[in-house]
Amino acid sequence: MEISNLPISPSIRSKLLSKGYTSLSSLSSISPSFLAQELSVKLEEAVEVLRAVSDTTTSKSAHTPNGIIPGAVTAWDMLSEEQMQRHISTGCEDLDAILGGGIHCKEVTEVGGVPGIGKTQLGIQLAVNVQIPVEYGGLGGKAVYIDTEGSFMAERAYQIAEGCIYDILDKFPSNSREFLSCKERLQVNNFLAGIFYFRICSYTEQIAVINYLENFLTEHGDVKLVIIDSVTFHFRQDFDDLAQRTRVLGGLSLRLMKLSKMFNLAVVLLNQVTTKFTDGSFQLTLALGDSWSHSCTNRIILHWNGNERCAYIEKSPSVPSASAPYLVTGKGIRGINSNFKRARIM
Amino acid sequence: MHAYYLARKDWKRSILLIKCQVVQKVASESDNESAGTKRKKAKAEESWGDWQVEDDLMMDTEKEDFKSRLAPDVTPNRQLPWLTGIELLSDTNQNKHFLPTGLEGIDALLGGGLRQGQVTEIVGPSSSGKTQVCLSSATHVVDRNFGMVLYLDTSNSFSPFRISCFVNQLHPSLPKELKETSLQTIMSNIYCQSVFDIFALLDLLHHVETTLKHTVKLGGSKLCLLIVDSVSSVIAPVIGGKNSQGWCMMASVGVLLKRIAYEHNIAVLVTNHMVGGENGTLKPALGESWKGIPHIRLLLSHGFRSYCQFCDWQLK
Repeated sequence: MEISNLPISPSIRSKLLSKGYTSLSSLSSISPSFLAQELSVKLEEAVEVLRAVSDTTTSKSAHTPNGIIPGAVTAWDMLSEEQMQRHISTGCEDLDAILGGGIHCKEVTEVGGVPGIGKTQLGIQLAVNVQIPVEYGGLGGKAVYIDTEGSFMAERAYQIAEGCIYDILDKFPSNSREFLSCKERLQVNNFLAGIFYFRICSYTEQIAVINYLENFLTEHGDVKLVIIDSVTFHFRQDFDDLAQRTRVLGGLSLRLMKLSKMFNLAVVLLNQVTTKFTDGSFQLTLALGDSWSHSCTNRIILHWNGNERCAYIEKSPSVPSASAPYLVTGKGIRGINSNFKRARIM
Repeated sequence: MHAYYLARKDWKRSILLIKCQVVQKVASESDNESAGTKRKKAKAEESWGDWQVEDDLMMDTEKEDFKSRLAPDVTPNRQLPWLTGIELLSDTNQNKHFLPTGLEGIDALLGGGLRQGQVTEIVGPSSSGKTQVCLSSATHVVDRNFGMVLYLDTSNSFSPFRISCFVNQLHPSLPKELKETSLQTIMSNIYCQSVFDIFALLDLLHHVETTLKHTVKLGGSKLCLLIVDSVSSVIAPVIGGKNSQGWCMMASVGVLLKRIAYEHNIAVLVTNHMVGGENGTLKPALGESWKGIPHIRLLLSHGFRSYCQFCDWQLK
């Protein structure tokens, strides 16, 4: 209820104050002509002032029931929303367990690792798993795959989709009638049709596609996953000014965060590794610097543990740090135990 | 000897002057005043210490009277914009409480907890526990009935599940129904809003400021802790480069946070990240200009976890 916060010109504001109108309530019951006479301003300006006053009062009254600010949600409401939220399975049960069910929606997850560890495989697996119908425990959504390196192979996606469908049908014997209709949807071609693929060849294209994503996602409301593979590639070679790179990446990550929150989807960023000289020794860390490490909600690092591939959760607000082994099989990402199970049956 | 604490709002700076003089008190208003001046006086009374440029405008119109009223006199009806040191000290002892963070080590370091009226900053490398400190503080502050908590989140890391874990650790001996109700009460007092750029943050903070000026009179549960996690992710993309506008916006955010903290007796907790400095060491982001804004700065490092007791992790 302050005149000082009204969006009116300073000269009019000082005139209002010098005449003694210091609060909005004093202006609520005045006609424009009277105000124009008092302040010796034109009638149109007086009308504008009163319109600004009425705008502020109506917007404020709409906000007060919600608490402090518009759009603020209480943690209790968020908890009930979160408990109903489904997660995207990675294909490996151990990894899903340590992630708290799978990749979370509304969060940005960064996955990094040395070359050949299976990042792209994990990306394609997630793009397939997000399309598992709701009746079978998935999200039933589509995926956007932004490829910067050219490592997405359609044949491999076909293989992984086949493996996924095979495992679903294995797990849920389709006797009941409702499953029959879903079974028709479980075709490999449908799964491949549900992946929107963007091929990016420079960092400007990368920035452009992320800016364009908002429009795209408004049109395609069923997209539940955005994968960027890899987010580092174009930013490592073309940038001379590292400070500018940090700024651009900061802006990029904020936009991705906003997208994930607004459209209730999961964003997965795949990152490369680089060596860093700390404490007198060379260590492997994720690329793009220290500032980038703060731009994601969760961080998973894939590494070799002897002969085994291992995933380690480095950063997460809701689950503790833990490690889980996984395998890259012909069918996609699988856990260690499932492999043994299959061997025993045979 | 009296100490003066002069707080001019339009300068946003506090100057501590020590003078050997008796404080001059302003005389009461006279009866034959116009309605306009009566309105202005009423406004000045209701906003204690609220000396704005608009007040100067009002002052200008009654310059001659003002000088005559500076004579030592009777009871003061109008509040002066400055305080004596004694008044400050008594205000600090009575009103400026320490809000618990829930982590004993941090509370010990801070001398009791997050101080109301001050801005505390937590800096640390990635995954050193900054968000956890924020979530823990939010839970403990609401549990001890200090008021409401507003959590401004820039990286979608506000986890209601984690808050429920903290709440369950608070009173392990309660029966199940009481635990459920306490969980609901506590979590209904924590408000979360996502912020993704600096303009939205400034807008929100301005809105908070205006709303706070009115909720004081309405009573009820009042905001006591404002958490911005993390303030550096919204500021870092705009600073640097050739334009100095980014630095201005950063300064505005800082000044706004401090003003909200001081005027409404709120504790403000912000998190900052670290960037590479010279010789491979890490230094806090946002540079030297930001350094002066928070009142207290805590540095977290990875070895921290071994010294502080975090509560049990429970997976779903």
